[in-house]
Amino acid sequence: MQDRILEIKDLQIVYDEELAVKRASLFVERGEVLCIVGESGSGKSTVIRAITGNKQVKVKGGQILFEGEDLVPMKKKERQKLLGTKIGLIQQNPAGAFNPIRKFNVQFKETLKSHSLPFILEKLNQLFVTLGLKNTTGILKSRPYEMSGGMNQRIAISAAMLMDPELLLCDEITSALDVTTAISVTDELLRLKNERGTTIILVTHNLGIAANIADRIAIMSKGEVIEFDTAERILHDPQQEYTKSLLRDVPKLMV
Amino acid sequence: MRKKKRAKTKIIIVSVLVVLLLLSTVLAGVIAPHDPSEPCATTIRLAPCAEYPLGTDNLGRCVFSRVLYGGRTTIAATFLLVLISFAVGTIIGILCGYYGGFVDKLLMRVADVLLAFPQMVIAIAVAGILNGGMTGAMIALGITMWVSFARLARSHTFTLKNEAYIQAAVFAGKSDFYIILRHIFPNLLAPVLTQALTTIGTTMIGLSGLSFLGLGVVPPTPEWGSMIAEARAYIQIAPWAIMGPAAATIITIILFNYLGDAVMDYREI
Amino acid sequence: MIVKILKKIASLIVILLILSFLVFGLMYLAPGDPAERKLSQQGIPISKEVLEAERAKMGLDRPFLVRYGEWLSGIVRGDFGSSYKDDMPVGPKLGAGLKNTFILAFSSLILALVIAFPLSVISAFRKNGVIDQIVRLLSFIGNSLPNFLISILLIYFFCIKLNLFPVIAKGNVQGLFLPVISLAIPMAGRFIRQMRAELLDQMKEDYVTGMQGRGVKQGYIVKNVLRNSIGHIFTIIALQIGSLMGGSVVIETIFRWPGIGKLVMDSITARDYPVILGFVIIIGVIYLVINQLSDVLHHILDPRTSL
Repeated sequence: MQDRILEIKDLQIVYDEELAVKRASLFVERGEVLCIVGESGSGKSTVIRAITGNKQVKVKGGQILFEGEDLVPMKKKERQKLLGTKIGLIQQNPAGAFNPIRKFNVQFKETLKSHSLPFILEKLNQLFVTLGLKNTTGILKSRPYEMSGGMNQRIAISAAMLMDPELLLCDEITSALDVTTAISVTDELLRLKNERGTTIILVTHNLGIAANIADRIAIMSKGEVIEFDTAERILHDPQQEYTKSLLRDVPKLMV
Repeated sequence: MRKKKRAKTKIIIVSVLVVLLLLSTVLAGVIAPHDPSEPCATTIRLAPCAEYPLGTDNLGRCVFSRVLYGGRTTIAATFLLVLISFAVGTIIGILCGYYGGFVDKLLMRVADVLLAFPQMVIAIAVAGILNGGMTGAMIALGITMWVSFARLARSHTFTLKNEAYIQAAVFAGKSDFYIILRHIFPNLLAPVLTQALTTIGTTMIGLSGLSFLGLGVVPPTPEWGSMIAEARAYIQIAPWAIMGPAAATIITIILFNYLGDAVMDYREI
Repeated sequence: MIVKILKKIASLIVILLILSFLVFGLMYLAPGDPAERKLSQQGIPISKEVLEAERAKMGLDRPFLVRYGEWLSGIVRGDFGSSYKDDMPVGPKLGAGLKNTFILAFSSLILALVIAFPLSVISAFRKNGVIDQIVRLLSFIGNSLPNFLISILLIYFFCIKLNLFPVIAKGNVQGLFLPVISLAIPMAGRFIRQMRAELLDQMKEDYVTGMQGRGVKQGYIVKNVLRNSIGHIFTIIALQIGSLMGGSVVIETIFRWPGIGKLVMDSITARDYPVILGFVIIIGVIYLVINQLSDVLHHILDPRTSL
């Protein structure tokens, strides 16, 4: 029954010469939504960076098992191939995910060529339609700086979904957004999860958003995962004082 | 934190070296084994030896002593020029940023014009026309140097002016002079001083370049640029007469540039 | 677009007018009487009448603004006046020097770029690696070396110790070698520092994270970073042309390269003001035009930047 698509064991990460993550263990099962919740500086985004193999962070200890294989000792080239195809990323500022001054079609093609995949317009078109983007060919001929932030965001999400990743990492994508847009983005994510069975890890400082969509929740504070359980348990029977205090703040954050 | 600590150590080490360098020129009178400007017919173009550590020049003068005394001229002129440009630029920048208006616009246009031209070209032309020795060379470089300080001070004043605590001081009826002196100046001192520190190296390059061209200090006053220019004529016979001031120039510029970089890094962390 | 370019040209002309006025004013205030100097140089005994006549001939007796106006209208027509030294027109003198200076400056620029561009790319993409450390050290040293010192050290090693080159540059390729290196080394140092910083800034942009997240190959990422930096890099190059011009005065004097820089140094010694003025104006125009062009180029390469 258990199919842990990603499991992190006793992870220690150094970021900017400081031990940003001291101890982190968590997992997510296929098709679930895991939310990592914590305030800024808690190390939650650093965990995401470690999964994507970002050069700025160094894993000092522990394992990152993706479909049973440890990513930490893996070569850079192999990891690069995993990214995009099996593990998708929607970064902190998704609107900036594309080079602002080059046309989208060139950039989509570069992405696909990197994985030796063909560019299939029909597939992209479907994604665009799902995300409420009209005029696919028009968009492909334009450059990001000519588009609105909202459009760029949706194009970035479609780019992350284009190669059907099994795991989608979302790094604080809602924190810069106003509440209505944040909810619409999480709704999109939920729809993708339901339609395609994509596993999602969402990093947020907002427990309210996590409460809306999470199956599992990990609470991080000062570089440690202090509580990790199903969303139900965390929301209704929290063990840690810190989690309780976060929960008390939720009604204020939810609309 | 660790980065910051390391940057701090770096600054301290370089500062110690800079202080040593400055001391050696300040104490030139004590350290120098010989009179720097007294020609001597019996010691012409001697190779470095125990008596003359860096040899002697065409007129039999001790190169080592001349390098020490020359450091005074070069470093003092550089410091003075940077200091004046810093003071003038900062005052203009603060006043322009604080009061704005027509004078601000005019001065910033002038600054644009001055920055729109290659500094060294202007300096050469101006120093050439003035023909006024080291003062002329300093004026020639100073014409454009104050601008960068003024711009920096102006932009910081602009931002500071809208800070709540300064607005509060305005409403409390404090005088403009008081606000500028107590609130604005201390807050922009650090970035502008850093800027001053980083310009020391380039200023020294500019000044010694002008001296080398004969547009700066007038012989027989020892100065590194002019010493190099003088000794160039007999480089084939007595290369040491060039190597002394050349090494001094390079080491000094490298030290000050390194200090500037280190302080910049420290402030950026 | 056209309106903006016209506006730019207008402000350029204003800047040039102000500069010409300042330099002309400075020359007016400068100590010494050019007429007296000219006569004594030509060995003519100076009496009051001769001096007055010469002053009238040279136009020195007229009011400042009239002289400025005449000089300026001459320049607009391409007439830079005549030399105080030998009464020859200044324009052709400057033109001949300019040609030689261009050869020297352009070769140095190319050499500096050939050194700096690949090194800064490697340095930036392998930040903190061994190559980066070495390149940073070298560029720091290069940036700290005055070019007159480099040229003298080069002369010492190549001409005297190794006897490979003549000390005085003839106007040929061999003579070009050492002056070009002297100019290129500090320039390459500055280029590396600035280009590396620009590339590193560019690599912090969100789109790089985005591309890495999509698993885009490193080669494409490099290509995108370079593509977005190139506009800035042109600006960096254009700004360096200023110190290149200043540096070539020094280098031309040392190597006796018959360029505009050597001409101006000779004219400074002879207090030949029309040549000095012409020099400042010509270099000013070149520098301004290059920088305005680089702005336009930057705008074309990256339409987000304002013109």
